[in-house]
Amino acid sequence: MTNDVIKEAVAKQQSGDRKLIADNSVLGKAMTFNIGDQVYGIEIQYVKEIIGVQRITKVPHVPSYIKGIINVRSKVVPIIDIRTRFGKPEIPYTNRTCIISLELGDVSVGIIVDSVADVADIHTGEISATPDNHAVNTNDFIQYMIRSDDTTKLILDVAKLLDEQDI
Amino acid sequence: MAKIEPGMEAMLDMYFYETNSLLEQLDEILLRTEQANAFESDDIKEIFRIMHTIKGSSAMMGFDNLSVLAHKAEDMFFVIRENPDVITDVSFVYDLVFQVSDSYKAQIEAIQNNVGGEYELTDFDDLIDKLMKGRDTLLGETSGAAPAPASNEKPKTTVKVYFEEGCQMENLRAFLLINTIRDDCSFLEFTPNDVETNSESSKIIMEQGFLITFVPIDDTDSILKQVESALNVQAYEVGETGDSSKPAAAPVPAAELPPEPETVKETIPEVAAPAPAPTPAPAPTPTAPTAIEKAQAAVAQAQASSGAQKQSLISVNLAKLDALHDIVGEIITTESMVISNPDLEGLELESFNKAARELRKLTSELQDTVMSIRMVPLAGVFQKMNRIVRDMRKKLGKEVDFVIEGEDTEVDKSIVDSLQDPLMHLVRNCMDHGIEEHVEDRINAGKPEKGTLKLIAQNASGEVIITVSDDGQGIDPEKIMNKARRQGILTKPESEYTEKEIQNLILLPGFSTNETVTEFSGRGVGMDVVKANIEKCGGVIIVDSTKGEGTSFIIKIPLTMAIIDGMEVTCGDLVFTVPISTIKQSFKAESSQMLRDTGGNEMIMIRGVCYPILRMHEKFGIETEVTNLEDGILLLVEADNKAVCLFADKLIGEQQVVVKPFPKYLSRYNIKDEGLSGCTIMGDGSISLIVDTNTLIG
Repeated sequence: MTNDVIKEAVAKQQSGDRKLIADNSVLGKAMTFNIGDQVYGIEIQYVKEIIGVQRITKVPHVPSYIKGIINVRSKVVPIIDIRTRFGKPEIPYTNRTCIISLELGDVSVGIIVDSVADVADIHTGEISATPDNHAVNTNDFIQYMIRSDDTTKLILDVAKLLDEQDI
Repeated sequence: MAKIEPGMEAMLDMYFYETNSLLEQLDEILLRTEQANAFESDDIKEIFRIMHTIKGSSAMMGFDNLSVLAHKAEDMFFVIRENPDVITDVSFVYDLVFQVSDSYKAQIEAIQNNVGGEYELTDFDDLIDKLMKGRDTLLGETSGAAPAPASNEKPKTTVKVYFEEGCQMENLRAFLLINTIRDDCSFLEFTPNDVETNSESSKIIMEQGFLITFVPIDDTDSILKQVESALNVQAYEVGETGDSSKPAAAPVPAAELPPEPETVKETIPEVAAPAPAPTPAPAPTPTAPTAIEKAQAAVAQAQASSGAQKQSLISVNLAKLDALHDIVGEIITTESMVISNPDLEGLELESFNKAARELRKLTSELQDTVMSIRMVPLAGVFQKMNRIVRDMRKKLGKEVDFVIEGEDTEVDKSIVDSLQDPLMHLVRNCMDHGIEEHVEDRINAGKPEKGTLKLIAQNASGEVIITVSDDGQGIDPEKIMNKARRQGILTKPESEYTEKEIQNLILLPGFSTNETVTEFSGRGVGMDVVKANIEKCGGVIIVDSTKGEGTSFIIKIPLTMAIIDGMEVTCGDLVFTVPISTIKQSFKAESSQMLRDTGGNEMIMIRGVCYPILRMHEKFGIETEVTNLEDGILLLVEADNKAVCLFADKLIGEQQVVVKPFPKYLSRYNIKDEGLSGCTIMGDGSISLIVDTNTLIG
């Protein structure tokens, strides 16, 4: 989703116009997953597949959050551990640990997550911009948030995740 | 400035491909005939055809300047073709046509670099002027020379006519044909001669063709035209009897007429399955065809001719081959996964194993075939060198024999492409610096007056070795040393340099011994670019020179970059692939061989030579239990004339591996500079990292 769409959705809610606030159309879908007790999401168009954790071949001379490379049907895919990337402590992999394979243009990576939750609709009314508070907004990787019921899902900015130089 | 019409863009690729290959063909013919110093009539026809095709397709694409240029060149060859005897001095023709060919290449490159944008249309007025003059000169010669053969008795011409298959009553058709041309001939004979009365003769005609021998009253061409336009004539072949020296005028239609399919076939009537559209030749259209029609006809002719002559060749997009290659790589990996699947362990599977063996045989055949598709001979690149030598020979005034050997050696397409520039530099260097400036110098040195420049390619155990050598003055180590000293590129005390090392200094950036910059070399950017380019395609270059005797540049390149023979070694929980070509020896170390230098660096002594030890687990930051040199394995690897011993945990074995580049996401980290060139997927699906010996040592 482009930043303009998000801004528009946020603006609608803050407009005070009851009709606009009531607009709750579906903008897209997000694949959600857990890291610790926080729910994150990735817009579905970037998700190629979900694979179980397999043996990861380490690659020397790369940052520690790049766990290595794996073989996905004869394609070599680099693996990023989201926990390490966000500066959270590592935990041992369980049978719920998954690799979500992402694709943006011709770059593909897999990210390791604690467990996959489900696929949720993104409604206009639920979107809110990220706060400037960096405690929540880890390294600017969050593009926007979805508030629904009592949970807040943080939607990752895939372009930034794949493109970010070392900070 | 001009722009490509939107609708034409799709055809550009085809146009570039076709025109470039035609130009290459043209260069080849010119170089060949220049050496023989005479045009064969076949060559002239071929040049004519090339020019004609280029003219047509250029006009169709809207490149008017190119079309006009080709037209003028064609005009000149028209004169030559009609009067093959007139050429007394052909050298100016060659110069002109080479200029035409160069202008073409320059213009096409300009267009190619600006696809979709605007490009400059070069004005070829000068060249066209020259061509016109050339034609006039030739015409002048013609008028002087032409009457001579004309006054001779007219020669007999033999034509063998083939009728369309299944048109029936061949004998009567042959009879009709004879009747048509009878009035224009002063002499007429035909075999079989009983076509009118004997219906059996149609069989003979079908099998062997209908043979007509005639002496025309007017000219041979008009008779041939009649033969050509007769009903149901599929092809005809012109032979010659009689004793005149004048070769048969080829019945190629005049330049301005759309070429008929027959003209193509007549030179190759043996081809069993002729190109499509074997319709009887249409009589020349009375209305003048438009430029577009002409162009299309020319293209059709080119296609028909290439279709008929090189039926067995097709051109394929390289991307498709790459995709095919990838898939085959995957199949092979998957096959290993199936056959050595852990689920099968401990089972008695007789018929499974038999089928598996069969499958393995087939897949390896498949792999070989796919690899061979990408292989192209080096001849194309070598031919271009011919041209460079020719030009330099003229400009520098040096007498040089250029010897090419092994040009049919095949190498992966991607490697061939990146070889052209390095070879060009080397050949230029040999011509410019290698061969002596003055013939006297050569004679004084007891060498033949004429220099020799050799370009040799040969296959040697999975590698192709290309040697560029001259018998010139060789490299003077002192000169090199002086120069290197001045340039400040020495990295160790002068006395420590061996002769080999000194010679290889010329491959360093910024090194050029030629004091004056010439058109061809001397800017000091040549040799290091050569080295870099060759290394880019996985090869190495070595200089071997003896002062006074000559210089050789030896280039070793792999047959393909995609598959290498590798030695698998483990280090910690990682598997590395070391290219076997770089491994000299693998062995267990003994403590008595170990040394330490003053800096505490580990060394090992093998047969009196000391080699530094590179611990892979330290280099790549891997945790392993094997840290004692005597417990692990040492691999002596050599690259770039340097050697080190790699220390790893254990040898696994030899394997052919398909090289895969690291994923794009990782390209921002300089893994490649740290001695890893890529990765490969092994039989069990795990990944092994490929060691790049060159960067690891360097």
